[in-house]
Amino acid sequence: MDVAQALVMGMQTWGIIGALVALLFITIGIDRIDEDARGAYIFRPLLIPGVLLIWPIVLWRWWQIETERAAWADRYRPVRKGYGLAVIAMSIGIVVIVITGLSVRQTWPEDITPVQLSEGASK
Amino acid sequence: MSEKPFFVGYLPAPGPLRTFLLSACVLLIAGLAGAGFLMGAAQDDPGPGAFRFDYGRQTVVGVVEMTPYPVIHVVEGNDRIKPGDSFMMTAGGKSGVDGRAMPLNGQLAQVSGVVLERGDLYMMQVRGGRNGLQAAEGEAPEIAVEPQGRWQLTGEICDGKCLAGAMRPGRGLAHKACANLCLLGDVPPIFVSSQPVLGEEFLLVTGPGGTRLPREAYDFVAQYITAEGELTRRGDLLVWEIDTDTIELSE
Repeated sequence: MDVAQALVMGMQTWGIIGALVALLFITIGIDRIDEDARGAYIFRPLLIPGVLLIWPIVLWRWWQIETERAAWADRYRPVRKGYGLAVIAMSIGIVVIVITGLSVRQTWPEDITPVQLSEGASK
Repeated sequence: MSEKPFFVGYLPAPGPLRTFLLSACVLLIAGLAGAGFLMGAAQDDPGPGAFRFDYGRQTVVGVVEMTPYPVIHVVEGNDRIKPGDSFMMTAGGKSGVDGRAMPLNGQLAQVSGVVLERGDLYMMQVRGGRNGLQAAEGEAPEIAVEPQGRWQLTGEICDGKCLAGAMRPGRGLAHKACANLCLLGDVPPIFVSSQPVLGEEFLLVTGPGGTRLPREAYDFVAQYITAEGELTRRGDLLVWEIDTDTIELSE
């Protein structure tokens, strides 16, 4: 398996797990942890794309709220604490990716001339 | 009560925050504009390729040849396309016309569609169904095939349609995924040579022995490569049968 296949398989696996989590969350989970959502269904499909992407956080928060392991406000604090660092890391990452991409790209070989290796045989 | 200024969207901004707000706005706008300019300036020129809708619909008669990609050698031209010209054909979107062209291989056919043009490269996006490609009356003349020997060339494999003007940019690494999708859809592949070969910068590229471009070559699409292969002039078109074992990335 090459790198591209591994990346595709990783994304597919992530998406399949995300789809299962989304299915469980919008049918069962959301009613259990958010009383305001009970009886409201139209908006739920809108959550699916987000859950597909961040299903580990959805599971983690579901577990936090379901088990009442943290006080109400504390359930959200650990995630928000990381936002600042994530913003800085992503900002630097974007700049690094752009600069690396521009510096490693090939230059058009305009000075290389075509070479005839053999004469053509008449057909 | 805290004296720390607090911004509320629907109230005037507190004095101490105005300078910060103004600076942040100017820096953000200038920064984004600067980044946009720098990224744009770092890109290669996309070239002059374009759909030539301004030419109107073009209809010509010629001999269909599967090289194995469908080529038409013009017998009866018009104001823009002259007899003796050879050009490749494609369908709408990322698809070729192989299915429609194969039954007409070696026969006279009328083709109709819109031209994509990039310098001396042009291609026709034929209309759907029989309106785009249909058999024509008459005897098909024999097409001249002139072997030009084995050549080592440096350049880039592209999909002919995007390169000719369907997309801007229609070549380069940023276009690789699109190019491969087009090639998988039977759009004819083109090799852009670093310097003209026998007067031509653009060559139809195929596999050895007149086969389709081998899948191994797809990994090198949109990258600058050096490779060897037999070159043949078919009508007005140069066809390069790339030997994938000789492909090397250019420095």
